Amino acid sequence: MKIRWPWLAALLPAATGLLTAALVTTGQLENHSVYLAARLVFVAPLVGVLLTGVVFALLLLQRRTQQTIQRAVQDHQAAAAAERRRFLQRLDHELKNPLTAMRAGLANLAWLAPEETGREALNSVEAQTLRLSRLAADLRKLAELETRDLECAPVEMGSLLQEVLEVAQERPEASRRRLNLSLPQAPWPLPAVEGDQDLLFLAVHNLVDNALKFTAPGDTVEIRAFEDGARVVIEVADTGSGILDEEVPHIWDELYRGQGARGVPGSGLGLALVRAIAERHGGQVNLRSRSGEGSVFTLRLPLQ
Amino acid sequence: METNPRILLVDDEPAITGNLAPLLGRAGFEVAVAADGEEALLKIASFAPALIILDVMMPKLDGREVLRRLRRADNWTPVILLTQVGDSSERAMALQEGADDYLNKPFDPYELVARLRAVLRRASPGRPPLAAAQRLASGDLMLDRQSKRAHVSGKEVNLTPKALALLEYLITHPDELLTRDRLLDAVWGWGYPAGTRTVDTRVAELRRVLGDDATDPDYIETVPGQGYRFVGQVESAP
Repeated sequence: MKIRWPWLAALLPAATGLLTAALVTTGQLENHSVYLAARLVFVAPLVGVLLTGVVFALLLLQRRTQQTIQRAVQDHQAAAAAERRRFLQRLDHELKNPLTAMRAGLANLAWLAPEETGREALNSVEAQTLRLSRLAADLRKLAELETRDLECAPVEMGSLLQEVLEVAQERPEASRRRLNLSLPQAPWPLPAVEGDQDLLFLAVHNLVDNALKFTAPGDTVEIRAFEDGARVVIEVADTGSGILDEEVPHIWDELYRGQGARGVPGSGLGLALVRAIAERHGGQVNLRSRSGEGSVFTLRLPLQ
Repeated sequence: METNPRILLVDDEPAITGNLAPLLGRAGFEVAVAADGEEALLKIASFAPALIILDVMMPKLDGREVLRRLRRADNWTPVILLTQVGDSSERAMALQEGADDYLNKPFDPYELVARLRAVLRRASPGRPPLAAAQRLASGDLMLDRQSKRAHVSGKEVNLTPKALALLEYLITHPDELLTRDRLLDAVWGWGYPAGTRTVDTRVAELRRVLGDDATDPDYIETVPGQGYRFVGQVESAP
């Protein structure tokens, strides 16, 4: 074990005191007495300063311990996330070849089985193969997000959100929901964010897409944005079914599908992509939800 | 009647070659198969294919190395790379190393057939493909792929990296109908819903910077409901 000299040195005064006390009790220093006298004007501040010093030292120690624990937790979480992504990349690789072979095989079968009955089964298998192909493509996106260079330029968030709204309005679900966008105009419009326009578009688009998927006709979906001095905050809020409390912490995880998501098509990677994009831009994602009332997804992006 | 073009299909996965070879055969090609890079080089010499479909990740000699050796030996047989790695820099490298086209796995087999035909139509036997040229010119436009610069009438124009990559793909596939999905896959590396709008935005940027009129284009033509086509005459520049 490593010898910790500063700690040993700190023990010296205590050791000296104990040694002296031992010598006194064993009778070897019996006739020696020390009497100390000091004026209150010196003692009072001295004791006060000493006590403050002790309290300061204790507080400092506590803070450092907390920081160490926090850092260890963060390191652990980051390592777990990296490990999970590596796993997903491997999964993507393992899916690619079999899927390529299956798609070619299905094309051959379609050629060989022209009868109606076989055709139906074939179409169904083909649809599932396409679904797996899309999953593989999403896994690739996620993997690429970790490594690729961001093409950073100032992105006008106002017009980007407007564009997301226009795309969302083209979806059939949109006609039966109240879908609106509110942007600040006074005293100034939303500032530009330094980022990759295509990725930021994808992130907000995924949030709105999600909101449309998990709401029913008559529900409201609101896209709101504002600036808080250091960040642009984008919120996508809905009056949908909301998310169960116990599911909220997992909702951003890769391939996680909540109870409400059963029966709704999707790869389970949409929100994971949003989080990855936010993190690559130095931003954060957050979710507030009440089961039965709705959800607010928040994307925070730092200004320069 | 014309003889069927010879295709060499190189992939180490028997399930892929086993299913693709008969499909290509039915599509009117004469197909030979190789399972790794070394076998591919031997078959290229003996079978003399008109086009090679080359997987990138293979044992012994990978696809990239096969391509490099071919081009170093001044063999310009058209090559379509089947990339495993979806990285966009990998894709750019594939073109620079002299591949004529590339497809990400898993792909639609009929898309591969369409690409085969397009590459064969474009290829002029024995000559380097446009995809291998350092500098490409079309009318007043000059693209230097090495230095990533574009010039119009001798003056350098300012393009975002994505627009430049898009221009590079368009100009190396002249006179070919390029769907938005294909452009997304080739330039952005992924397709996503509403992503087609992303393509339109960059095409609009290209037209603005290059001074191209969408109604009477010198370079990029819109094919309504389908995609885009580079209509200018393209040649490799000195």
